[in-house]
Amino acid sequence: MRPWRRTADSTATCQEVLRVLQSYLDGELNDLTSQRVARHLGACRRCGLEAATYTEVKRALRRRARGSLEDASLSRLREFGRRLATEGDSASPG
Amino acid sequence: MAIGDDAQHRAFARYVLPELEVVARVARSLVRDKAEAEDLVQDTLLRAFRSIDGFDGRYPRAWLLTIMRNTHINRTRRRRPDLYDDPDRAMAELADPAPGAADPGEIVAGDAFDSVVEAAFSKLPERYRRVVALVDLDGLSYKETAAALGLPMGTVMSQLHRARGRIRRDLSGAGLEPKGAKK
Repeated sequence: MRPWRRTADSTATCQEVLRVLQSYLDGELNDLTSQRVARHLGACRRCGLEAATYTEVKRALRRRARGSLEDASLSRLREFGRRLATEGDSASPG
Repeated sequence: MAIGDDAQHRAFARYVLPELEVVARVARSLVRDKAEAEDLVQDTLLRAFRSIDGFDGRYPRAWLLTIMRNTHINRTRRRRPDLYDDPDRAMAELADPAPGAADPGEIVAGDAFDSVVEAAFSKLPERYRRVVALVDLDGLSYKETAAALGLPMGTVMSQLHRARGRIRRDLSGAGLEPKGAKK
């Protein structure tokens, strides 16, 4: 993502921030742009609330029960990987 | 020049094994059937082992996710040749919810916010749901998600942001966004 052009006034506008807000929350912006976004969010109530809403959405998704990886499945895969690393292709089934 | 066996094993242990859990979780995001997902990871690990001498050591996670995507397409081609011409459709069809999966309307509203997010997530179009699953559930970067799905990064970003926008609109419709938040 291209960094914003430096200007004498380093304050970002709401429009600029909202355009990159989700990338900012995902940690995908460069340091300079992230700092400008963070400064704006600290000073702008509306954009700050927008950021808070998306942050809570991300947290709710993480809390979501995914029926994700069972321990037994992961254990089997780790053993399979370990055997590949030590014995090579001969360790693979069929 | 092919590297020796010892170097191959060491490279596999160094670059692949640390990424195993992430790869396994992404497989579960892409392929709903648990046994199928485990088979996909095993095939991916085998292909990674056999091709590790061609890996430059940079971005192992993205490299593995690309292998997994190609492995998944090849496995689909063998089982469902009618889907071969459209691998993205193959990915979408094989990631469809399993029979008996919870209907969003059946979710018990213990935590209202989480329930609305869950319901909104579940009704997202499959292409949006995959991207949200990989970034927000599996913690992948945009670049890694693009590699896993075989999509340009710009497409990943636009699909992700639109998907979250839909979730946010559902929250707004349920009256669950903070007061003063932008509509």
